[in-house]
Amino acid sequence: MLYTSLLPIILALAVASFFLGQRRAERVAQAAGGLRQLHSLPSHYGVFVALCCALPGFVVFLVWMACEEHVITAMVASGLPEALRNLPANELSLVINEIKNIAFGGFTAGGGNPAVEAAASSYLDHLHGLRNIVVAVAVVTCLLPGWWALGRIDKDLRARNLVEGMARVVLLGCATVAVLTTVGIVLSVVFEALRFFQSVSPSDFLFGLQWSPQIAMRADQVGSSGAFGAVPVFVGTFLIASIAMAVAIPVGLLSAIYLSEYAAPTLRSWAKPALEILAGIPTVVYGFFAALTVAPAIRDLGAMLGLSVASESALAAGLIMGVMIIPFVSSLSDDVIHAVPQSLRDGSLAMGATRFETIRHVVVPAALPGIVGSILLAISRAVGETMIVVMAAGLSANLSVNPLAAVTTVTVQIVTLLVGDQEFDSPKTLAAFALGLLLFFFTLILNFIALRVVRRYREHYE
Amino acid sequence: MNDNGTQTAMNARPDLLAPASDLKRRYRTDKWFQRIGLGAIALSLAFIALLFFHIVREGHSAFVRTNIMLDIDFAEKHFVKENLAAADYTALVKHALTETFPEVVDRRDKRQLFSLLSSGAAYQLREMVLANPRLIGTRQQVWLPADDDVDMLQKGKIDRDLPEENRRINDRQLSWLDTLASQGRLETQFNTAFFTGGDSREPELAGVLGAVKGTMLTLVITLMLSFPVGVAAAIYLEEFAPQNRWTDLIEVNINNLAAVPSIIFGLLGLAVFINFFGLPRSTPIVGGLVLALLTLPTIIIAGRAALKSVPPSIREAALGIGASKMQTVVHHVLPLALPGMLTGTIIGMAHALGETAPLLMIGMVAFIADVPGSIGDPAAVLPVQIYLWADSPERGFTEKTSAAIIILLAFLMTMNSLAIYLRKRFEIKW
Amino acid sequence: MNVSHLVAAAGLTILMAGPAMAARDYISIVGSSTVYPFSTVVAEQYGKSSGAKTPKIESTGTGGGFKLFCGGVGVDHPDISNASRAIKESEMKTCADNGVKEIVEVKIGYDGIVLANAKAAPEFKVSRKDIFLALAKEVPDPKDPAKLIANPYKTWKEVNAELPDSKIEVLGPPPTSGTRDAFVELVMEVGAEKIDSLKAMKKADAKAFAKVFQTVREDGAYVEAGENDNLIVQKLQANPKAMGIFGFSFLDQNADVIKGSVIDGKGPSYDAIADGSYPVSRPLFFYVKKAHVEVIPGIKGFLAEFTNDKAWGKDGYLADKGLIAMPDAERKKVAESVANLTPMAMK
Repeated sequence: MLYTSLLPIILALAVASFFLGQRRAERVAQAAGGLRQLHSLPSHYGVFVALCCALPGFVVFLVWMACEEHVITAMVASGLPEALRNLPANELSLVINEIKNIAFGGFTAGGGNPAVEAAASSYLDHLHGLRNIVVAVAVVTCLLPGWWALGRIDKDLRARNLVEGMARVVLLGCATVAVLTTVGIVLSVVFEALRFFQSVSPSDFLFGLQWSPQIAMRADQVGSSGAFGAVPVFVGTFLIASIAMAVAIPVGLLSAIYLSEYAAPTLRSWAKPALEILAGIPTVVYGFFAALTVAPAIRDLGAMLGLSVASESALAAGLIMGVMIIPFVSSLSDDVIHAVPQSLRDGSLAMGATRFETIRHVVVPAALPGIVGSILLAISRAVGETMIVVMAAGLSANLSVNPLAAVTTVTVQIVTLLVGDQEFDSPKTLAAFALGLLLFFFTLILNFIALRVVRRYREHYE
Repeated sequence: MNDNGTQTAMNARPDLLAPASDLKRRYRTDKWFQRIGLGAIALSLAFIALLFFHIVREGHSAFVRTNIMLDIDFAEKHFVKENLAAADYTALVKHALTETFPEVVDRRDKRQLFSLLSSGAAYQLREMVLANPRLIGTRQQVWLPADDDVDMLQKGKIDRDLPEENRRINDRQLSWLDTLASQGRLETQFNTAFFTGGDSREPELAGVLGAVKGTMLTLVITLMLSFPVGVAAAIYLEEFAPQNRWTDLIEVNINNLAAVPSIIFGLLGLAVFINFFGLPRSTPIVGGLVLALLTLPTIIIAGRAALKSVPPSIREAALGIGASKMQTVVHHVLPLALPGMLTGTIIGMAHALGETAPLLMIGMVAFIADVPGSIGDPAAVLPVQIYLWADSPERGFTEKTSAAIIILLAFLMTMNSLAIYLRKRFEIKW
Repeated sequence: MNVSHLVAAAGLTILMAGPAMAARDYISIVGSSTVYPFSTVVAEQYGKSSGAKTPKIESTGTGGGFKLFCGGVGVDHPDISNASRAIKESEMKTCADNGVKEIVEVKIGYDGIVLANAKAAPEFKVSRKDIFLALAKEVPDPKDPAKLIANPYKTWKEVNAELPDSKIEVLGPPPTSGTRDAFVELVMEVGAEKIDSLKAMKKADAKAFAKVFQTVREDGAYVEAGENDNLIVQKLQANPKAMGIFGFSFLDQNADVIKGSVIDGKGPSYDAIADGSYPVSRPLFFYVKKAHVEVIPGIKGFLAEFTNDKAWGKDGYLADKGLIAMPDAERKKVAESVANLTPMAMK
């Protein structure tokens, strides 16, 4: 079908117009007396023409993709008998689904309504007819602006600035995606969180020292006092994250320094990817390992030393999580340490410093922003990690900073609240959204502080 | 150099030009530091080795399966109907079993006898007949999958010395199995179904192909979106954006996104892609989009760190000879920063590959038996498959879980090795 | 840069172009993780024997399942929701508000809830009163039964002199779980009623009584262990002192490593649960949107497969997976209402 090859067609047109534009620019240059007379490089003119050609066609294609469904559905629906047409929208969608099933797959669930079968064949007719029109429109919207752009090429056309301007817009657009994601995340939790705060007061939630969603079990007991205090959950989160960082920062950073400063290139080229495997092992696997191997080992060890250790200690979960995030510190720090200019090292070594002193006084300070960035990323991952804690740390919300006690984390609570069997509108389920929102702002503040700290200690070289 | 000069230098950095007696200590520190670094790496590698050992020990047995050979009589009386697929293939299996054990007559005993074979046996026969209708009227020796309990027994995961009521295989069934084994009709063979099948609730039939394909489709989308967008965003923020409060806010914001629990990304995906854009639930397209958003912060942060580490002299040199800002970035800064960006991508993709929680919200934690054909079909991904199998009551899924982890790790390493190759190609030390 | 962008975007849209139009030709099922193992077996059998696409079954939890199910009528909404409890009135109302007016309720059988420990550990013969005393957050003061005190019992022996002298450590589901609700209702409530002072309290102040039996202790004796029952089974093996609360099918599959405790004189066996003499079991359900039956291919076939004795009968393949079959008469009744697609009465 022509339609499925529309994108390749647009692409081919773009490539062709690139070469046309380039050739044209070269010819203009010759006429004007050499390439120097052109404002921009010929390839810039080529890209300019190609963009002018491909973008409109592409937009047409995207617009059609977005509304094809609606247009055709509306056309088919208008051909249906009165009785079917006047169904409410969602029931109509079932009829349309049936029509599509007949049209594409040739099967139906029952019914055998002749009107539906007739609609199925008209559906295909509409679809093919419209798609051919779209192809034609798209090709024309490619050719016309392309033609226009080609005509505009002369030695004073500021093609480079135009192209770079467009590229900057694309870059800006990409950066906006991240911002939009944030907006989306806040929006997708904030309404549910507000509904939660209608039944539980924010101050109870923020400062309550007891987390025990079990009290609000029946609708008539909603919001019994102290049941939704978020403090223990957050303390648990930061306890486990700190244990994890106590493992990941030293091990990761030392590994990174060793790899980039001491290790032979072959060792580095093997060890670094090997460490990165740690980041890719599914967290479920770590969870099982922590719950079934590490936790009992710690409990037995504790019993030998006469300590009382919970079966599901924060320590087990934290240790394993720390192992998981080692590569976040090691690989990213290794990259930035590696990128410290050799001249700095050479200078320091030439002054008679040992390698350790060079690392301590020169290399690490130079790489500090990157290292801190990697550590921040690792902390973020530790705070947001779910499955390990679900399996190994359990759900008991104890307000404790004892690593041998059982604690729970924000993510664990969110997951268990969201996938539980309770009614979706009960405060129990809504609490998940409130926790998510609170965690979001909490980490936001932490990151802000971190940024300030990094700014203060950053050292500029060169 | 005169005395005076040395004196000043020593005052400035005494530890660098300390007397020779100190040198030994300084080198010893250096040596120790080096050893600690090596130790740190060894520790991590040892952990990987331990984990691999664990997983392989648990999972290697899933690559073989216990099969039972039966003489199947494809008698024509079973195929009276036009439609070959509708014939009663279970009857063929039952018939063959009763032939092998003519002494079993009681209905209850027969049920126990039939339960030695997997429910998939009949479907295997159907496939055979559909592929080759000339089988009808012949008698064939066919290896058919045994029930998962038999499989577990054969692999020693069920202890046959336990009292009968604690076993899922009773004494009669054991004696039948012994008979089959003595006739050479019971064997463990390579488990092709594991690589060619979709998910199943019968451990002996369950395969990873559906999940592997789902993972591929999902990750292709994730990579195609998050890598270009992440790199472009990093370039914009680091090279073009004006340095002011707003860019600070955006930076903090992106760092913060990395700390958002992954399940919340699932909520976002549910709201935006499924409810707003109307994309179908449980499909790789939605999964890929959600995971792309999830990996984006990692790639942007790593990308910015990599761009920051490119020395300003490179930029200044390029600008100095008349390159535009864009040309400087594209031709000089970006190639130097690429290894670091690839690292971020590797870690981000690895994260995406192992993630289950966000997929829960967009309907990918689901039983999907059919192998997906395109990104619009419902699909499971490997970590979800692992999660679901780990939660299944049947004993046979324990080894399947570990085997699926092995597959996932193989997938991860293949994916990474390509990126690592690229990273090595672009890496320059100056 | 730009070219690579274009290529990437183009590739993506090529991938997207194909399936954007496809209709839904498979059944979509959501809901409880307890019903999931049974529903999936039926779906697989149905898919294989009919040659149609296998239904897609999501494990979302009962509440999440109803949220999706009650979202409305149409292809974007699931056809069937699995539930480990009956649908609540508020959920029916949500359904009705969104146009889901006719729902067919299908009860599929029972799920036993067991209290189990490792094979190596001593056997437990407990009463529900013992369990209540061991696990409630507040229990009547042994000296002055009218007064409630924080649970003082540390070992099972302190609860009941006949029980082993081991620390109380029970791994069980979190309060969001349906298994927990059922456990509280079937064990804790009944256990609490066996105590005279609490029985008196129930008459005087039902709400206060409810709070007593619903609130499980939080001092570490009851460990909320998440919904992964396999993990609990393995934790029990690793820790022979602990007990676990989970579904019967996991005991059934792991009878060689764990054993169920006898509760009120009955051990958790298939027959004991089926005839009701083992006290702790709950019904499982699924709900079908009637409006979808005629238009989504396969729903009828799936329902027929599920309500076939080959599947949910006493000797059916679901029984083999641990689902406790309903008595014959009840099965027949449900099968009939399914065949006629009799909707539930809306309140």
